[in-house]
Amino acid sequence: MSKSSTPIRRTLMNMIFLASGVVLLVTSSAFCAYEFLTFRSSSIQQLQILTRAIASNSTAALAFENAEDAAGVLTAFKSDPHIVAAALYDMRGKVFATYPQGLGLDRLPARPGSGFAFGRSAVVGFQPVAEGSKQLGFLYVESDLNAMYSRMKLYGLILVLVAALSLSLAYLISRRLQHRLLQPILALADTARAVAERHDYTVRAAPTGAYEFDLFTDTFNQMLTQIQGSEGKLQAQVGRLSLLQQITRATGERQDLPSIFQVVLGSLEENLPIDFGCFLLHDPGAASLTVAALGRKGSRFGEHLGLLPQSAVPIDANGLSRCIAGELVHEPDVSRVSFPFPQRLSGAGLRSVVFSPLIVESQVFGVLVCARGEAEAFSSRECEFLKQLSEHVALASHQARLHGALQQAYDDLRQSQHTVMQQERLRALGQMASGIAHDINNAISPVSLYTESLLEREPNLSERTRNYLTTIQRAIEDVARTVARMREFYRERDAQLTLERVEINRSVQQVVELTKPRWSDLPQARGAMVDLQTYLADPLPDIMGAEHEIRDALTNLIFNAVDAMPTGGALTVRTRRATVADGETRVLIEVTDSGVGMDEDTRRRCLEPFYTTKGERGTGLGLAMVYGMIQRHSAELEIDSEPGKGTTVRLNFPAVTSSIVSLPKAKSAAAVKRPLRILLVDDDPLLIKSLQDTLQEDGHLVTATHGGHEGIEAFAAAAKRGECFDIVVTDLGMPHIDGRKVATSVKGVSPTTPVVLLTGWGQRLIATNDAPAHVDKVLAKPPRLHELRAALAELVA
Amino acid sequence: MALLRGKLRLLLVAGACLIVAQALGAADAPTESQVQAVFLFNFSRFVEWPPQTFAAPGDPFVIGIVGADPFGARLDEAVHNEQINGHSLTVRRFRNISELDNDNCQILFIDRSEIARLGQILTALDHHSTLTVSQADGAAQRGVMIQFATENNRIRLRINVDSARAAGLTISSKLLRPAEIIGTGAKEER
Repeated sequence: MSKSSTPIRRTLMNMIFLASGVVLLVTSSAFCAYEFLTFRSSSIQQLQILTRAIASNSTAALAFENAEDAAGVLTAFKSDPHIVAAALYDMRGKVFATYPQGLGLDRLPARPGSGFAFGRSAVVGFQPVAEGSKQLGFLYVESDLNAMYSRMKLYGLILVLVAALSLSLAYLISRRLQHRLLQPILALADTARAVAERHDYTVRAAPTGAYEFDLFTDTFNQMLTQIQGSEGKLQAQVGRLSLLQQITRATGERQDLPSIFQVVLGSLEENLPIDFGCFLLHDPGAASLTVAALGRKGSRFGEHLGLLPQSAVPIDANGLSRCIAGELVHEPDVSRVSFPFPQRLSGAGLRSVVFSPLIVESQVFGVLVCARGEAEAFSSRECEFLKQLSEHVALASHQARLHGALQQAYDDLRQSQHTVMQQERLRALGQMASGIAHDINNAISPVSLYTESLLEREPNLSERTRNYLTTIQRAIEDVARTVARMREFYRERDAQLTLERVEINRSVQQVVELTKPRWSDLPQARGAMVDLQTYLADPLPDIMGAEHEIRDALTNLIFNAVDAMPTGGALTVRTRRATVADGETRVLIEVTDSGVGMDEDTRRRCLEPFYTTKGERGTGLGLAMVYGMIQRHSAELEIDSEPGKGTTVRLNFPAVTSSIVSLPKAKSAAAVKRPLRILLVDDDPLLIKSLQDTLQEDGHLVTATHGGHEGIEAFAAAAKRGECFDIVVTDLGMPHIDGRKVATSVKGVSPTTPVVLLTGWGQRLIATNDAPAHVDKVLAKPPRLHELRAALAELVA
Repeated sequence: MALLRGKLRLLLVAGACLIVAQALGAADAPTESQVQAVFLFNFSRFVEWPPQTFAAPGDPFVIGIVGADPFGARLDEAVHNEQINGHSLTVRRFRNISELDNDNCQILFIDRSEIARLGQILTALDHHSTLTVSQADGAAQRGVMIQFATENNRIRLRINVDSARAAGLTISSKLLRPAEIIGTGAKEER
């Protein structure tokens, strides 16, 4: 209410005062005017009557010229105190007598006139004095107006009093009337204020008993009823909107379907509320739906309904099929619907059901089922709400799926990136390793050659010497194998891996025996006890593989298992045979520990090269090597692990089939009987020396040259001399002129002369079948005497 | 000097005026008989005659004078063209009562010259509604209805109400009020 507005009370009062004041004023003005006019005429009349009477009485005095009598007659004017002057004139116009006596003639008109008139302060008049028809003279009279003025004053006083009284009465009456008039309005205003301030629309205005006000009150109450209804609807709508918003926000925070479904069902059960809610997922093409999620309350019904997570619900002809077609289906009372699924709901005590489709890209992928115990419990607004909600849920689900796909793509990308990086590192490492391997191979070549030569040619060696030499030879071979293996790190897959039959049980036993210090002695030193059990299936088919790689892999797995059990535990190595669906037989090796286990992240990353949980102690290459071996053997690797529960690593090899025959064993070297002229080309003097020594001991004529250049010249010179070499043995990697150029040059001079290439990368060349042109045979460093002899025999014979 | 001469002249003028005024007043001032003539006529307005006083409606209202006529033409002038209740006024003069005879008068002025024969006159007027008026001293006491009496140079009326009533005349109270009421046989004052 504005400050400037006038209360109706005051307005009414003003109106009444104004009206009564105006009425009073007009009435009294009219009265005064009337009084004034009538008083004038009446006073003239009175004066005339008096004058006429006195005139009549003074006729005789005039007629008979009796001035004393005339004066006496005039004294009758005393009866009216307002008459201030009077005089009798005779017919000649002479003043005959005056009143009061002795009045100066100058106070009187010089000549008689006629009639009465109002002067400024007096009424003056002449009355003819006549007896019968005979006029005898004139009577002049003058009456002052004080009478009228005093009367007017009296009237004024009365008027003021009456006005005061009237207005007081008007005030009192208007107060009373106002009360009657305003009370209902004020009561109504109070009600309206109560409604406006408290927002309590249940308040109703009481009837007043006055027809118009009751009409007003009824209308007001009707309006309140309407507002109350609208308010209720609005509240419900706002409630649903906020619920929708709450659910939408909650689903937006979640990225996996089960959690989205759960939060939606929880909110619906709690806030809409519903008695039962579940999500069914639809697989396009399938004639049934799968229960994806049940609400907490719904689980109670779920058992009655036979609806359990992942159970299937057949799509019946009525509700669900229409819903699958993209339509929101509302069953006000399922007890009257004969289809199976509604009957199931009805059987569980649910009466009204809404099926709302979840649609993404115009494809229904699921159904939201909401049910209540009472029949016809869902309003059309709630159905609309559920429809909107379903759209939101569908969208959120779709987003969750997209998010999952995106996450997967991202993980894959990161994995790829990581792999690329690792490969780059491995490539560099491999190159380095390759260089080192070359040098080592060169370095150990003399040792290998001399040892083999000694063992072969010195029958008189003491047993101890022979033992030592044998040990040296095995060590050299181990070194050579280690160096070779070291270079395998950076290989994707060695297609040319030499596979042979491997008896897994034997390999397992060897590894268990070899690693005993690690799983038995070391833990015992710490006071821990590792209980290793082996369960080996027998018989077990062989597999095709590289035994040393398999042994290395098993060794790594056992080391890892022991490391996972710092306080000891059970370590089980198990082999078994398995037959998969298509009849293929597979051999399984399981290494199980009862250690700390791995969490999801660790499990996912454990195969990555350089990923380690062992800190400085680990290289991060163990499982990576295992994985590399698995890939090279076309095998499979499974890891089951749970934090605190231990880890099982399962290697799954294809079993060897009977059609695969074992590779023939390397036949014993057949030595060349006749002495050969051999040209040796190498840049390593030690290697040259040892090769020369051992070949010369075999009776060959050996010319040793340092470097490619020298070798080519020597070969050319010998050819000129006609003493052509029978065979050329050249190193591959040499400064300036390498083995390939030497071979080319030799073949250029003498195409029939065989060329044997020695290489620190030899195994790789062999493996990749990368034998250069003009090279007849590639031998790996360190060269074995028997291999060399075999090559010579093969090439020269 | 000039002032003195002015005053003197004013005095002279005033004196002259006074003399003229006195002369005029003497010439103009109504004589006693003149006044009486008017009065005589005025009586017709203050006295009511019985209706049978006129034999016929067109009969004149007659003012008669018996004896010497003190009024002369003045009375005739006073009544000239006057009417009383539709009756024209006529003045008739009688030398003696015998001339009256059957002639009916409404007002009869009895001059003091006829006072000796007053009784005879009044007797003659018996049964006549005639207002009798005289200026003779003591007339009222002797039965004349209205007597003019001069007091302090003013004419006063003395009225014998009994005589008037006996004659069937009604004298207006207005006339009676300034007059002196005299009964028949009453002693004359002074």
